[in-house]
Amino acid sequence: MTKGEVPNIVALEVLKKNGVNVDKLKELITKGVGAEFTTYYYYTILRMHCTGLEGEGIKEIVEDARIEDRNHFEAMVPRLYELGGSLPRDIRKFADQAGCPDAYLPDNWEDINSILKVLLEAEQCAIRSWGEVCDMTTGKDPRTYDIAQRIMQEEVEHEAWFIELLSKRPSGHFRRKFAGQSPHTGSQGGLIHL
Amino acid sequence: MKDSKMYRHPICKSTELVDDTMKKVTIDTVDVLVGRRNGKLFACNNSCPHKAASLSKGHFNGDNIVCYMHGYEYNIFTGKLEKMSSWKKEDTWVEQDPEWRKSGDLVLYSISEENGTVYVTLK
Repeated sequence: MTKGEVPNIVALEVLKKNGVNVDKLKELITKGVGAEFTTYYYYTILRMHCTGLEGEGIKEIVEDARIEDRNHFEAMVPRLYELGGSLPRDIRKFADQAGCPDAYLPDNWEDINSILKVLLEAEQCAIRSWGEVCDMTTGKDPRTYDIAQRIMQEEVEHEAWFIELLSKRPSGHFRRKFAGQSPHTGSQGGLIHL
Repeated sequence: MKDSKMYRHPICKSTELVDDTMKKVTIDTVDVLVGRRNGKLFACNNSCPHKAASLSKGHFNGDNIVCYMHGYEYNIFTGKLEKMSSWKKEDTWVEQDPEWRKSGDLVLYSISEENGTVYVTLK
């Protein structure tokens, strides 16, 4: 085999035989990881503005979500390349095509609930976004499905935290042991490359 | 081998497309949204032109399909983007960058009905 000569990739062949539109899948994944990467950036700003006594109380929770969302980017990007895709060369284009809106700091950030609502909106978009990938791959692409559903599990937990903080509705689970624990996408969950 | 894009694909029985309903069908690997609105058939690519969400999870608003992901609205008969919803749930939120908000129009397909069967042509 000479350089640049790519043989038949059986891992892709089976997807196509299963009816997966691989180009569409790569598009959805690129949008999803774009949202995770921009979320990591914007949650940094949001976390910085969790100030005062009230802000201090949620700062760590924002950090948990921030680092886990970055881990989601790390978990899925290798699969994008396996599928024959790639990250956009330009980070601005990467951000513009992200599947979720940027979690901008609201003008009234001193009201901690305002920050929480932005965080909640971001997590809810992420759930829909990874839900699309799950729908597309379930029963057809077990490898991508496995990663996407792990990410979605953590996004569901993030949503539950912010809902609990806003409305007092119990999330059903306790705090992370440390920021970036990623119980579903981290090494504890079996994705060993993190 | 026939060109699947020019072929009239039988999709379903006419009775399966009740008025004011829609469903997703797959032709080769293309997801197509078909439906009937105010008695008129329509067919378009199921992928929202904005951020590729499934339009089949949306709902009608007049002759528009409303995407469940970000609320954008597209006319199902002309394909035109009719409304770019804002993400701002509160006045204190900062609007999204215009580059992020940009969207094209729906990809429409030809749809017809004959002898109780609905057909779609991808082209």
